[in-house]
Amino acid sequence: MLAEIGLVAVFLAFLSSLYAIGASLYGERFARSEAVVLSGRNAVFVTFTLMTIAILALQTALMSQQYQIAYVWSVSSPDMPDFFRFTALWGSQAGSLLFWSFLMSAFAAAAVLLNWRSHRRIMPYAIVYMMTTLAFFVALVLLFENPFNRWWIIPTNPVDQQVVQAGLTPAGGVAPAAQDLAASAQGLNPLLRHFGMAIHPPMLYLGFVSFVIPFAFAMGALASGDLSTNWIKATRRWALVAWLFLSLGLLLGGRWAYDVLGWGGYWGWDPVENAAFLPWLVGTAFLHSVMIQEKRGMFKVWNMFLVIGSFSAVIFGTFATRSGLVDSVHSFARSDIGFPMFFFWAGITIVSVWLILWRRSRGELRDEHSNNSLLSRESLFMLNNFVFVALFVAIFWGSFGAPIVSELVMNTNITLGTDYFMRVTPPLFAALYILMGIAPLAAWGKTSLTRLGRSVVIPIILTIVSLVFFMVGGLSTPGGLIAYGIVLFAGWVALYETYRGIVARRQAHQEGVLQSLTALFNRNPRRYGGYLIHFGITIIGIGVIGSTLFQQETQRTLAVGESLNIGGYTLRYDSLDNGQIAEDGRSMDIANLTVIRDGKELAHLRPRRDFFPQTDGMNTMTIAGSYSTVENDFYVILVDWEPVQQNAATFKVYINPLINLVWWGGLILIIGTLLAAWPREVLPARIRQEVRGFVPRTA
Amino acid sequence: MIKHARVLALIAVTILVVMSWNVSAQDQPTTTVTDDDVNAIAHELYCPVCENITLDVCGTAACADWRDEIRMQLEAGRTKEQITDDFVQRFGDRVVGTPQDSVLRALSLVTPWVIIAAVLVLVGSMVMGSQRRRNKPLAAVQPPDDRSIDRYQKLLEEDLEG
Repeated sequence: MLAEIGLVAVFLAFLSSLYAIGASLYGERFARSEAVVLSGRNAVFVTFTLMTIAILALQTALMSQQYQIAYVWSVSSPDMPDFFRFTALWGSQAGSLLFWSFLMSAFAAAAVLLNWRSHRRIMPYAIVYMMTTLAFFVALVLLFENPFNRWWIIPTNPVDQQVVQAGLTPAGGVAPAAQDLAASAQGLNPLLRHFGMAIHPPMLYLGFVSFVIPFAFAMGALASGDLSTNWIKATRRWALVAWLFLSLGLLLGGRWAYDVLGWGGYWGWDPVENAAFLPWLVGTAFLHSVMIQEKRGMFKVWNMFLVIGSFSAVIFGTFATRSGLVDSVHSFARSDIGFPMFFFWAGITIVSVWLILWRRSRGELRDEHSNNSLLSRESLFMLNNFVFVALFVAIFWGSFGAPIVSELVMNTNITLGTDYFMRVTPPLFAALYILMGIAPLAAWGKTSLTRLGRSVVIPIILTIVSLVFFMVGGLSTPGGLIAYGIVLFAGWVALYETYRGIVARRQAHQEGVLQSLTALFNRNPRRYGGYLIHFGITIIGIGVIGSTLFQQETQRTLAVGESLNIGGYTLRYDSLDNGQIAEDGRSMDIANLTVIRDGKELAHLRPRRDFFPQTDGMNTMTIAGSYSTVENDFYVILVDWEPVQQNAATFKVYINPLINLVWWGGLILIIGTLLAAWPREVLPARIRQEVRGFVPRTA
Repeated sequence: MIKHARVLALIAVTILVVMSWNVSAQDQPTTTVTDDDVNAIAHELYCPVCENITLDVCGTAACADWRDEIRMQLEAGRTKEQITDDFVQRFGDRVVGTPQDSVLRALSLVTPWVIIAAVLVLVGSMVMGSQRRRNKPLAAVQPPDDRSIDRYQKLLEEDLEG
């Protein structure tokens, strides 16, 4: 019954989204009928309701173990805990596409609800774009990746074709016995059985999906001809929300990789990771560039391209990772959704670019002001945008461009790995940090070199003092000093500018430090939230440099009681708990280790290897044991590529300096983004108080 | 005569010591290859079977065999470059992070900079073009000075900001 409810709801949602597209376009463009336009708007809410019913049907099927549904059978099993049963909703392609579509419908409904009155002229066209995207994904669910397909046995078929999957009951089909299905259920992919997987994919999907809203508003503005800064005002916060979710998704993905993949790192320049990073880069460029259009009416065409770029990167990333393109350019054609996704991505990108060029040719995207100095905030923001785009190009080329071109043109399969990315990207990241430090100090319009020079003196002094501390702490490599110097400079600028703001307010209003800081964030949350984000990115940068340039590792086979030394630590192998059986049926080999420093026992670690006997394919997980301090992570993996015996085991040990700053910096970045994006009252409190004072009370 | 005999004895003893040292040296393994030596090379090589996983961390049986092969080649006295070349020859350029073939290497490393330069030229020409077409010359805008702005105008600006 749940399968039928879900399937019918998805089908009706598809029809409803098509109706929303038709009614919005026809009502606004041709019939000029408010009633038709309103019915198109209401169809958005109906679509959301239907998608909610569909997602609840699948979630209920997962929780109540309806193994008759093929998706439930493939991602869950009777011995799985409820928590993983819940997260199995996005544990495979069909479920995650449905979840993607549900989130898309929720964001579309929220955007319509919040922006209908204030941006009435743009909204019908924005609905057309949002619902076109949604209708496409719902069509993929219905036609190619239906999570409501059920198992059927057709006795009249040849023996090897008797068991089939189908959404509707096939002729002569008989449902298999429930106990047989439960006994053979596959269970969730072991790599996804981690707490991080409960949050990481939804955050990434939220980031991806919410980039559709700024795109739809931009296209709505182009289609409607309302090319003032209205669409920017409507979408600024949506873009920030999208950026927040994408940042969270990337951070949690890094943490998941660090905890579960067992290679001592958090970023492997894998195409799937890069596919999520690419829209983040373009989105970050847009968030900076959009300020210039708001303040100065400049870069209108550029901003349009950035919005399309972020959306296009989202769709391309989804296409690349779900179609098999990452494995090989030929495999995406073998995937059912490869061609449809490619044509959708190409079609929507071409239409969007054509719309921009058309409006531009009519002179409707002309800038209101032009840049008259290379030393202005506009110019530096433009430079910052260029570096973001350059990073996008370099990473896109390494992840997709070079492998595809070499395979298509030269019939050679190549992989551009960490070696390539570490050659190409560091100068660009360094340029970004330098601009992150300088750009906020430059004035709008024009600034002088002397004035800019004066502004950077104190942050530079603070950077030099910090580097002296680093050197006293043992840092001596020129590369490390330069890298830390660049990153620290950006952080000191953010802190110093906030400090200057506090001092100015204290002098003007005789406030306390905390009160001044609160007032600053209240009055200009974007600016000071932005500084907090910059500070967070500085902290992340310090962590990345430390854990990349100064990582130590060793691998040794130890007998029980033996020790190894690395980076001032001693690791002692105490014992092995072999073949422990967990509640969910997995078998665990757990090593018991002691970490010692200066003769003192610091921690007992239990790195382990989990084996999932019932799972096909990748059925082993390596769970590291780690001892974390601000200084570093002592990270140990139980390796099994030498035969592991009761009395001897092989361990790989990493010392990852400052790695925890990556997570702490991420937290600061999230707080800064929340502060910058948090809705605030349109009228400042003082105005409201004054208005209250002037308006006579009638009651 | 005695002097000659002493010299001969000294030579004989020296030869015996050298020979015995040689024999004991031959009893020891010729090289001691550690896991770290193997991983240092395996870290630079990508699994020919899996996608984007380096050999040092790949958990498959095939990769374990390839790590053993690296160990054997190291024990046989081959250098890192020779081992890498051997893997590239057998499995192609996909096993290294940047191709070794000169054409592919150039394609990989130079192309992004060419594209970036092209984007720079394109953006630069767009900016220059819009400068030429500008219809509203801009006076330098100074940051607003709180003291010089009318209080209500300032409040209004704050309002608009929201």
